[in-house]
Amino acid sequence: MEFMKNGKRIDNRLPNELRPIKFEVGALERADGSCYVEHGGNKIMAAVYGPRAVHPRHLQQANRAIIRYRYNMASFSVEERRRPGPDRRSIEISKVSREAIDPVIIKEFYPRSTIDIFVEILQADAGTRSAGINAASVALADAGVPMRGLISSCAVGKVDDTVVLDLVKEEDNYGQADMPVAMDVRTGEVTLLQMDGHLTLDEFEQALELGKIGCASIAKMQREALIQKYRGEEDE
Amino acid sequence: MKKQEKVDKTIVVPGDLLSEDAAKAAEGTYVENGKVYSLIYGLADEREKVRVIPLSGKYLPATGDVVVGMVSDISFSNWKVDINSPYEALMHISEYPRRIESSEMAKIMGVGDLAIFKVVDVDPSMKIELAPREGQLRVLRSGRVVEVSYTKVPRVIGRAGSMISLLKSKLDVNIFVGKNGRIWINGKVEDEDLAVKVIKRIEQEAHTSGLTDRITKLLEEEKHGVHEKR
Amino acid sequence: MNDVIAEIKRDYIYELAKRSERADGRALDEYRPIQVEVGLIGKAEGSARVKIGNTQVLVGVKVQPGEPFPDAPDTGVIITNVELVPLASPSFEPGPPDENAIELARVVDRGVRESGAIDLSQLTLPDGKVWLIFIDVHVLDHDGNLMDAAALGALAALVNAKKPCERYGYGPDAPLPIKESPVAVTAVDLDGEIMLDPSLDEETIASSKLTVISGLQGALAGMQKSGTGTLSVEEIARIVKLASSKAMQIRDDLFGGSTDG
Repeated sequence: MEFMKNGKRIDNRLPNELRPIKFEVGALERADGSCYVEHGGNKIMAAVYGPRAVHPRHLQQANRAIIRYRYNMASFSVEERRRPGPDRRSIEISKVSREAIDPVIIKEFYPRSTIDIFVEILQADAGTRSAGINAASVALADAGVPMRGLISSCAVGKVDDTVVLDLVKEEDNYGQADMPVAMDVRTGEVTLLQMDGHLTLDEFEQALELGKIGCASIAKMQREALIQKYRGEEDE
Repeated sequence: MKKQEKVDKTIVVPGDLLSEDAAKAAEGTYVENGKVYSLIYGLADEREKVRVIPLSGKYLPATGDVVVGMVSDISFSNWKVDINSPYEALMHISEYPRRIESSEMAKIMGVGDLAIFKVVDVDPSMKIELAPREGQLRVLRSGRVVEVSYTKVPRVIGRAGSMISLLKSKLDVNIFVGKNGRIWINGKVEDEDLAVKVIKRIEQEAHTSGLTDRITKLLEEEKHGVHEKR
Repeated sequence: MNDVIAEIKRDYIYELAKRSERADGRALDEYRPIQVEVGLIGKAEGSARVKIGNTQVLVGVKVQPGEPFPDAPDTGVIITNVELVPLASPSFEPGPPDENAIELARVVDRGVRESGAIDLSQLTLPDGKVWLIFIDVHVLDHDGNLMDAAALGALAALVNAKKPCERYGYGPDAPLPIKESPVAVTAVDLDGEIMLDPSLDEETIASSKLTVISGLQGALAGMQKSGTGTLSVEEIARIVKLASSKAMQIRDDLFGGSTDG
């Protein structure tokens, strides 16, 4: 498969270009905080409940809140219908996503409680874990959860020996490497890093640099979406 | 867009830089390498200090708070009370103004009953003890209860109670605003309805300026409307 | 989960009911605003997002070739599933579908199946396979009356769906053979007052609900009473009549009275 033509990718983007991204803050009524995101063909809803009481109780921590994160794909979110419920992939993604967000949350304010983050993939189109983390981070802010910053995430990878930002399905499936990263853009601290495929050390450095740029653009959009929620109401 | 409905403070998100002067850090902020950052999504308020007023979040009780709680369960010697917080609170049987038997508890205050409580103790693990407010247990058996985010309570009360005074002066209702965002309203049905409507409006527009004027106007119009219908 | 509702809230809703009023100002037989949006999920053969007030469900329909049931080799297959994901309500928990999710799925399924909404005999394929139709209801926001939202979402997503013939080498894509238009209407009874489209509070307070699913001509295709409360024969008769005419109105508003094309 040929991925790069005249410096452009199969969907006509430049190597360092993100797909179109749209955040909607407060998309749900019942949740304490929520965010709907469309990122390329991904359609994802994130909701936060909490801090709230922990059930079962033995999971309680005496001096801080626990964080739970559930990444779940709707059965119709992919080409072939998927059996509902967690599989090994979604359990791993839930774990690394939780660990990506956990470091910025001030858990000590809420002993014996839980902050539950639910991410539903309604349509999947490569990069769902990153887009889910971006939405979850906004939903946490919307819920009023104290955090040192927002976490932003994107994937970088390699196709036709070119390092590219924000892979689409074909690039993800048939490309040479895929590397999702998440970070607190202000401090530059990386909170999620996964890689599979083949990268030289030089390419890795390039990819990480590109990932940083991607996350910085996303962080701006996350911030803007949160501010827009209250600007919007002002217009009524 | 009407000019008076503008947000009068800057909206900030977690991690936003607020000040280069660590000494200015107040609630809703944190200090890192001598700089002040926002800890929450909210409105930055900079005077001598810079603080961030939350726009959302869960109520955390503090000793001395007066709240509207709902009995959620009764054990041998405690009423378990939902105070619209991540933590359930307890009122011990001995806090009741007179000596009672365990078997009488449900009759005095049953599951689903609302009452006004005072928070008398909050320990570091957030175990919360309640007592009746001013030594008298007031179970709310009539009227209505609305819930707003606890973050909007200061706007519902208004500066030095001005908003509540305004509501009470225009409507024939009793209003009690719990620190936890539960508001009890008791009066004539039409006045209760209007009070609920006004409180919801305050909640929606809590972050805008010129709110008192708009609420005064709303009350005038609605009151007028109510009388015309009859 | 703690679903205790404050006594004075309960009293208030009953007081209103006595005066034929509701807390959100609706008439007793009035629905909250209904919004239907189709085709959001390109990866599904059909999809619909339905909002009834703040209640929100997303339904995806997947159509795939597969083996028929041995006892019905000339009949397509419908499989309906409901996920009450914990994102939708503080009282939903992660895990396999519980009895509420399964009840919802089965009522939606019966409505589609028993009304003859899809002509299953037209779902055979030349190679002995048949079309399998998966109706997956994903609840996003639970603010009362999931039953009607789920059933409406299923219908809208089915009408929106195409058989992906091209993808599997069976010629050009074609719509599903839709023959009926089952619409569910749910009622609760509060002290003898019948209310349609119960809000979350009304649903929590009411001791029983009745869902009535009816088709284009008003004929009944499915019913479900749920909850531990009782309904008198007269109440049931009233609800059935009311529901059938309300279903017509909803259908007219949303689909223009016809589901063709």
